[in-house]
Amino acid sequence: MRELAALQARFGAGLDAPLSEAGALEIFLGVPDQVKSRFGIYRSNTIANAAKAIGAAYPVIEKIVGAEFFAGLAKEYRSCVPAVDGDLNEYGASFAAFLADFPPATRVPYLADVARLEWLVHRARYAADPAPFDRARLAAVSPEDQLRLRPRLHPACHLLHSDHPIARIWEVHQDTFNGEFEVDFSRGPAHALVFRPRFRVEVARITDAEAAFLASSREGGTLETALAAAQARNASFDLGRLLSEWVESSVIVDFELNGE
Amino acid sequence: MSLPGAPAGNPAVHGVGIGLRASHYREFLESHPRTGWLEVHSENYFGDGGYDLHVLEHVRSRYPISLHGVALSLGSADGVREGHLAKLKRLVDRIEPALVSEHLCWAALGPRHFNDLLPLPYTREALDQVVSHVTRVQETLRRQILIENVSSYLQFRASELSEFAFLAELAKRSGCGILLDVNNVFVNSVNHGFDPEQALLEIPGEAIGEIHLAGHAAVGELLIDDHGSRVAPQVWRLYEKACRRFGAVPTLIEWDTSIPPLDVLLDEAAMAARLSQAARA
Repeated sequence: MRELAALQARFGAGLDAPLSEAGALEIFLGVPDQVKSRFGIYRSNTIANAAKAIGAAYPVIEKIVGAEFFAGLAKEYRSCVPAVDGDLNEYGASFAAFLADFPPATRVPYLADVARLEWLVHRARYAADPAPFDRARLAAVSPEDQLRLRPRLHPACHLLHSDHPIARIWEVHQDTFNGEFEVDFSRGPAHALVFRPRFRVEVARITDAEAAFLASSREGGTLETALAAAQARNASFDLGRLLSEWVESSVIVDFELNGE
Repeated sequence: MSLPGAPAGNPAVHGVGIGLRASHYREFLESHPRTGWLEVHSENYFGDGGYDLHVLEHVRSRYPISLHGVALSLGSADGVREGHLAKLKRLVDRIEPALVSEHLCWAALGPRHFNDLLPLPYTREALDQVVSHVTRVQETLRRQILIENVSSYLQFRASELSEFAFLAELAKRSGCGILLDVNNVFVNSVNHGFDPEQALLEIPGEAIGEIHLAGHAAVGELLIDDHGSRVAPQVWRLYEKACRRFGAVPTLIEWDTSIPPLDVLLDEAAMAARLSQAARA
């Protein structure tokens, strides 16, 4: 009675491992050579569909290493980390970790960090849409309560720290980029901010103080604690200018008062 | 067994529709191309928010929408993936589509998802399983779903029923409708050597809720269902026969690889509308 499970187990094993192919081919009608070549179509499809998902999530990595090398990387990744989900937009979360451990890829020292950034960009595309910013509600907050407000970040917002200028590397590889194709690798470690004003995901290099402020906000800190965290890194941190900029670009989508 | 289709007040699909793909989003946002309805792949809209969902919510106010799933894996021996079903339910609740459909296939087993429409052995045991999984999905979504016949390159030795007898039994026992992919009938008739017109006779017309048309590619003696070209002449002829036999069924033009300008899809849709009308005249 459990024949279906047994047939699917043999089919699946044959798709995943060439050594199990002979056991899979036996379950199909037809002459052996024809069955073998037709089974190969299913194997190619399942590999190609996963590789296509990796290509959609990591276009900058593909540009950096070239289409041919990237196709090899995607195939190798799939054989190490097969898909578990039918939603292929969820596939590829550990591609950066794979690149960091895969010797042919470690020759490009910033590759894994750019992949980490691309995954955050990819996930930001599907993050929830926040309610429109309510300026009237904010204006009604009394001055003495203002520092107790908790800035709430857009669900698409992510912070990433790297030893490499990953925000700039990402920027110069965008199709829409038409500036000078130049990256200053001497600038040292930096923070990248992923944000999504309306529907288009963007990446910006931000300062230590800005990153400290946003990290504190993200953990649920008040304006007061976030400001203190930022000023510890830069005494002349200009909150007023940044707050309006961050609200304008939907980095901050709301301010909550305690008890709300 | 009778299940509701679209929620009350939601426009039903009529005539010919096309598959909405990201490369045509802009045209659908800026102008409103004339087409009967739109179909999208459900999984592309499983996110919490973002641009794809924004576009879908925009077009749903102007066109009836069909949600066509490609990865629920209704034929898995170890059951329906509850997480996947929950995401589908969230999308169905959000979009209130006119139609919801999936495939007669399997794609997942244990922790693995193969991301392809793999064929099933057409056995009594598999039929019992698929009936129970379709029932589970229809109860969760609180509506009828349509199940599509897939194209395939291999047939199981274990099969006891024909593909179409299996689909007919599934519809009868679960109360699901049938999404008849005429291109897949033709592709399989060549790949497995049967008469496609005879196959149409096995399908209960009253269960058919939608027809799919797409292009295929020939690789040697094998036909590959790649949805990457215009509908083939033999498939148009089979479609005319289906129209004569089944009457007016909402029909969709599918195109998934090497997607052409929108006008080409609309042109194919116009051809389907002409043939459907002429066949019933």
